[in-house]
Amino acid sequence: MEDLKVKEKFNWPVTILLILGLFTVLFPLYMTVIIAFKQPSEMTNDIIGLLSFPKSWSFENFAEAMRVTDFWRSLFNSFLITAVTMVISIIIHSLMGYAVARNMNTSKFYRFSYFYVVSGMFVPFAILMMPLVKQTAQLHIDNVFGVIVLYVVFYMPMNVLLYAGYLKNIPIALEEAAHVDGASTWTTYWKIIFPLMWPMHATVAVLTALGTWNDVMTPLVIMSGSGVNTLPLAQLNFQTQFGTNYNLAFASYLLALLPMLIFYLVAQKQIINGVTNGAVK
Amino acid sequence: MKSQNERRRTFLCISIPILLLFFGFNTLPLIKGFIYSFTNFRGYGSYDWVGWRNYVDLFTDSRVGNSYWFTFKLAIVATILINVVSLIMALALNAKIKFKSFFRGVYFIPNILGALVVGYIFSYIFTYILPAITHAASMLADRNWAWVAIVIVCAWQSVAMSTLIYISGLQTVPEDVYEAASLDGATGWKLFRHITFPLIMPFVTINTVLCMKNSLMVFDQIMALTKGGPAQSTESISFLIYNNGMNGGQFGFQSANAVIFFIVIVVISVLQLKFLNKREEQL
Amino acid sequence: MKRLALALIIILCMSSMAWSASRPVVIELVQYKQEALKIFDALAEKFNATHDNIKLKASSPNEPITILKTRFIRENYPDIIGIGGDMDFSNFQDAELLADVSKYPGLQKIKKAYIDIIEGLEFVPTPGTYGVPYMANAAGVLYNKDMFDEHGWKIPRTWSEFMKLCEDIKAAGILPFYFGYKDTWTTLAPWNALAVDLAPADVCQQVNMGKTTFAKEYKEIADKILAILPYGEEGPFAYGYNDACTAFARGQSAMYTIGNYAIPQILSVNPTMNIDSFVMPGSDDPDGQTLNSGVDLMFCVMANSPHKEEAYVVLDFLLDPENIQMYVDDQNSVPCQTGQFKLTPMLDGMREYIDAGKMADYQDHHYPTEMSVSAMIQTYLIEKDAAGFLARFDRDWARYNRDVIAKVQKYNASH
Repeated sequence: MEDLKVKEKFNWPVTILLILGLFTVLFPLYMTVIIAFKQPSEMTNDIIGLLSFPKSWSFENFAEAMRVTDFWRSLFNSFLITAVTMVISIIIHSLMGYAVARNMNTSKFYRFSYFYVVSGMFVPFAILMMPLVKQTAQLHIDNVFGVIVLYVVFYMPMNVLLYAGYLKNIPIALEEAAHVDGASTWTTYWKIIFPLMWPMHATVAVLTALGTWNDVMTPLVIMSGSGVNTLPLAQLNFQTQFGTNYNLAFASYLLALLPMLIFYLVAQKQIINGVTNGAVK
Repeated sequence: MKSQNERRRTFLCISIPILLLFFGFNTLPLIKGFIYSFTNFRGYGSYDWVGWRNYVDLFTDSRVGNSYWFTFKLAIVATILINVVSLIMALALNAKIKFKSFFRGVYFIPNILGALVVGYIFSYIFTYILPAITHAASMLADRNWAWVAIVIVCAWQSVAMSTLIYISGLQTVPEDVYEAASLDGATGWKLFRHITFPLIMPFVTINTVLCMKNSLMVFDQIMALTKGGPAQSTESISFLIYNNGMNGGQFGFQSANAVIFFIVIVVISVLQLKFLNKREEQL
Repeated sequence: MKRLALALIIILCMSSMAWSASRPVVIELVQYKQEALKIFDALAEKFNATHDNIKLKASSPNEPITILKTRFIRENYPDIIGIGGDMDFSNFQDAELLADVSKYPGLQKIKKAYIDIIEGLEFVPTPGTYGVPYMANAAGVLYNKDMFDEHGWKIPRTWSEFMKLCEDIKAAGILPFYFGYKDTWTTLAPWNALAVDLAPADVCQQVNMGKTTFAKEYKEIADKILAILPYGEEGPFAYGYNDACTAFARGQSAMYTIGNYAIPQILSVNPTMNIDSFVMPGSDDPDGQTLNSGVDLMFCVMANSPHKEEAYVVLDFLLDPENIQMYVDDQNSVPCQTGQFKLTPMLDGMREYIDAGKMADYQDHHYPTEMSVSAMIQTYLIEKDAAGFLARFDRDWARYNRDVIAKVQKYNASH
């Protein structure tokens, strides 16, 4: 066996093809970076001019883009929405998943509830959009709070499906033992079940966060005109303003992509695992 | 007995408020949308009931028809393209290669980026860089090709996700299956066709359903790349509902469009699952 | 006890009064011209520096009409909106969102022609006036004056001269136009400019009454907008408004078929550019040309604004000749108010038409937004099928205007 491992050869042709393939991923990112650093006068229409490095690596465009898009405020809003949605989703979707998973086999009500919530996955946002705009306004939650509520509801079908599926593999005997000791269902859940579901929490957190962080449409229709921007929304809202200055625009795009890229560098493993778990389950 | 009651009460206390929340922000607007679809509401001001007129109009409106045609063309082509490319990618990334985790890390990047900003970047590439290299007109300006550009951008982002799913699929195939097969003389394409592919069929199902669903709802890419042009050739259903429903004063009419869109999505998802499940069983 | 209660009430009243006095009334103005973002910020700053009890909050968002409509759907209204004299105004007015400002004294200073224009936009005539016209625009052809002087090109007065000019420019190795048709609305600029010469001003009303068809009235316009297409950049559907402004500013084309509203954008790229304008000649009658001019910006007070008096103070400020001049200097617009204003030399070529009042409103101000006429024109310019385009125009018109036509017919029957 040992011998086999030593002899095991790397598949170099595939490796080389994969290196060449990286070009497709990195080229757009490369373009973004160099355009963001260039000055309008450096923008020419020939290939060499388009692809060459900027003359100097100055952060002027970034400073200006931050000012125009009110970067820190948008970043804060995006962060707030994503973080709060993530936490609430983990808490209430796992609870719902728990209630459903433990009663589905014995109770018609919970079986119905499960299919009712999960079938929400098929409802396209487009049909809810217009009534929701009216509804959130009537409830005076056409703001960050309303957007969070909507996200919690949008991600409920998928997350409940995930949690309920995961809980099927957690033996009920654990809870019963706690019950015998006199603990309430509520305490048992938080003390025993909730901590057991950490792998699923990570998955739910990653999927919910990726979805909310990059979403444009919900904040666009719910909060438009309120002056509150999320990071992607700021790009949309300021498109025309620097329409003639692609360099400024690209600096702003790069700034918008950066937080996620940094987060990805830090938590790459968790993100990839989370996404895989979510999809395969 | 007491503990049974306590348990039941706790579960009800948990599920009822959550169900109400779900009803309030998912089912209720769905019902309202259905009601609006029978009006000529602009979204503001007064409105009249118009019965089934909006639905009748839907089937005669060439713009709505075109948006369905475009959306389906996009969804089907993108789904096939994404699945083929990501299956190849998954096989490559699952092979005995150097820098395996590095490759997996980098190839996943497109998936975490926001579709809108990615769209803006590609818009620039299609408008300025590609024409400079190929000396051809921009794809985005040609109504026969603009949809292809959108397929490319959608694929660029989605391939990462599908690849990941296929990789985990390939990892479920036990080594000894390959060993047994190679003893029988199966190699390369044959091995893949008769051994690997059937075994990862469930993952093909997942990927097809996911891709199809996501591409049917395409919106951000359209906003960033074409805004529905040129010549209205890239108006997706979601884009049309947003644009004409919110901006164009067709709140009622586009509500009817959304109702039909909803039904279409449900029917397609159910059919897809049925069909692919059957294939799985056959294999 | 009673006295104590009384004292308490008095204190409460006074403190609440003091509180409301110390907090100025906020008037929110949302206006749709993004080109004017900076000047509105400057005007708001000036206003706030001189008024203590009213605070003006002016905003100029991207996709302004979508934002406004979304806010109306949400029943979240600003106090004043600055919009164009077009179909959106008609819809807002018809939905009873706008306040009748006929009693507002400032209206007396507005030229009657412009008030007539906005009255004409109402679906059915109403007794009130629902907007204060502020600025007019003028659309036609902007040209690079230095380039024209250098080559000795003359301003055309007829369609034939115009075509000859395009040939001459092309022969000199210069691109006559940069269109930027990726943004569909830019197709409407030459369309409207041709339409004022070639179609009756009330063609939409006539069609609504069943007296004529667009296929008949718009045929020549359709032919001529197609005729100028070959003189534009290659692949005009790849580039948007911003690209076209930039290209024209950099001297990549000699002319640009757009309105005066594009001048600030062009100058932002090339501040020293020497631009002038002329009326696009649609017909071959040298005296039969009409300038395409409409209400570019008007202010409407929202019907349910709780602060109408304060809103009028804001309007008084904006209509102050000094502030109008400030706006005109920045935006190269034509004021709707009577009085002497210094206009930009860039409109010199259109001046005689403005002074003589030989103007007509944009035809597209009567087209419903959701019909997307601009996208239809773009489609036509790509497909080049005039008969199909005009047939679709008539067909879609009947469908998208069904409710309006019904309303008009009902009104006519009862009056």
